[in-house]
Amino acid sequence: MGTYILRRLILNILVLWLVATMVFLSIRVLPGNYASQQFAGANLGGVSSEAIAQAERALGLDKPMPEQYANFMGDLLTLDLGESFRTRNSTWSELRKALPYSAELGVFIILVGFSVAIPVGVISAVKQDQTPDYILRGIAISALAAPVFWTASIAVIFVLEWDLIQINVTGQPHVWSDPWGAIQWYMIPGFVGGFASTATVMRLLRSELLEVLRQDYIRTARAKGLTERTVIMRHAMRNAFLPVLTVMGLTLATLISSQIVLEQMFNIPGVGRMLFRSITLRDYPLFQGLVIVTTFVIVTTNLAVDVLYGFLDPRVRLS
Amino acid sequence: MADSTPLILGQKARSEFPIPGLALFVNFSRRKPLGGIAFVAVIVLVVTAIFAPVIARYDPNFIFKRDNPSYEVSPTLMQLAADSDIGSPVTVDSFETPSWTHWFGTDKVGHDIYARVIHGTRLSLIVGLGASAIAVSVGLLVGVASGFYRGAFDIISQRLIDALQAFPGLVLLLLLVQVAEPSVRNTVFAMGVIGVPTVTRIIRSSTLVVQSTDYVEAARSIGATNTRILWRHVVPNIFSVVLIAFSIGIGAYIIFEATISFLGVGPRGVVSWGKMVQEGRGSLDLHPWLTVFAGLAIAIVVISFNFLGDAIRDVLDPRLRGT
Repeated sequence: MGTYILRRLILNILVLWLVATMVFLSIRVLPGNYASQQFAGANLGGVSSEAIAQAERALGLDKPMPEQYANFMGDLLTLDLGESFRTRNSTWSELRKALPYSAELGVFIILVGFSVAIPVGVISAVKQDQTPDYILRGIAISALAAPVFWTASIAVIFVLEWDLIQINVTGQPHVWSDPWGAIQWYMIPGFVGGFASTATVMRLLRSELLEVLRQDYIRTARAKGLTERTVIMRHAMRNAFLPVLTVMGLTLATLISSQIVLEQMFNIPGVGRMLFRSITLRDYPLFQGLVIVTTFVIVTTNLAVDVLYGFLDPRVRLS
Repeated sequence: MADSTPLILGQKARSEFPIPGLALFVNFSRRKPLGGIAFVAVIVLVVTAIFAPVIARYDPNFIFKRDNPSYEVSPTLMQLAADSDIGSPVTVDSFETPSWTHWFGTDKVGHDIYARVIHGTRLSLIVGLGASAIAVSVGLLVGVASGFYRGAFDIISQRLIDALQAFPGLVLLLLLVQVAEPSVRNTVFAMGVIGVPTVTRIIRSSTLVVQSTDYVEAARSIGATNTRILWRHVVPNIFSVVLIAFSIGIGAYIIFEATISFLGVGPRGVVSWGKMVQEGRGSLDLHPWLTVFAGLAIAIVVISFNFLGDAIRDVLDPRLRGT
């Protein structure tokens, strides 16, 4: 167990280093840099090349690549992620501002997604290859097929048409400061994102349950006269739920950085939107920092889930 | 419906159906009715894409205009305030509701939405099939090589794959599509790269499975060379997995393209459904047609490919369910 965790940790560090290198190189491969992007919109041949060069010097962009890389790696070892070119704040403080929004939206999405996916998955498995199963799976696959930005647009039409909620876009409220305002704000993206995430979970739960329902102990449970409800809830669900829990953890980890479209559409200043902007603005330090941190979260969650698995399910041997 | 008859072209079936492959299709549809319907839908989509200029009725970039009946050569300020179009001899037919002339209505600029939806099929299919083909070719090479030869190549390539997979997918795509000019070719290539990790993993693990079988052991014991084992035993036996990996990803690539086009970094100069949804969003409350039809088109195409991919997987290798 100990050696397993140690080996995985070493592998994770290796992966993180690879990601950091990829991040460093990939953003610099894009044409232009922060200085030229800034002037690109403003000038019609008005900005001299000296002005751009001066801006590049100020940002340290004139240094040779190996030196930039060495600095970046050195800073990374001391957990210094640099400061954003645009705001001149440290990447950590930018992240502290953005993360709560993404986390709130992520939790909203997970709550909606799982409260739909779990009952639907159970019904679909219990009624395998009967009409309810077909209908529910049809809906789930449709949810997977309709792009999030489209379902969100359609949802907006209905909300506008019937005047369902009041959205305070400028206020950007948090759940703890203005609960009702925040819930209304996250309502559309939360439901749309949640709906989109149901398909994966529902299908996983269904196939796991089908597997478990074939086991001998289920037959035993039925044979000793338990009601079908008890068999499903106490015996089948407990055993089928573990993989679902895994997906839950991973979904939350990924959601934090993957809601680029919803955050962009609904003006939510979260990590996804910040990432998107840092790419278009060529804000190297901010982009690098955000990707490294989100990758770290994903990789660590992965490891934590695997280790937890070993505790929760004694049949699983970590090796 | 999931009976265990193997999907093999029998002698009897061969004589019943004069068209080659039809027996295979009928057999497949009997076992997976949804897959059969999806297959027909995909064929219809391919035909639509190829014959788009004929089916679309109009040029997707043609701007519908009409003479302005209330045209004044030099309108006064008061007249202009009452009717801002009064100074121009022609007006654009923007935001028409669906009618016989414009089946899906027109957009803000006066394009026929039906024509654009039909032409959009081309980009979606090119992107979906092209990106999947790239991902599968690269994934096959790397996956087989690292699963078969193992050693240092395996360790290094798998770590690179890990890193690629840990990188948020959409972020990587947003980076890649901006490296070169946003043309269709570059977009397809960028999306192919995104798919490589998953495909490589699937193919590597099935290579490992095939390699530990008795028949590979037997071949090795009678002195077959590595090359022979690779081509005669490993590659043919993972072929079904390759087909699954190819078909199952297509829907996701189509959504990816629509998403980056929606965000404004998609391929330029082509009709894209994602871009159409974005264009329609500005006046969604009053003129929803553009957004509605473009989005429906995406959903239909993706559903067709997803159902087909699922059915192919269930028939060829049900163990891969959930991947």
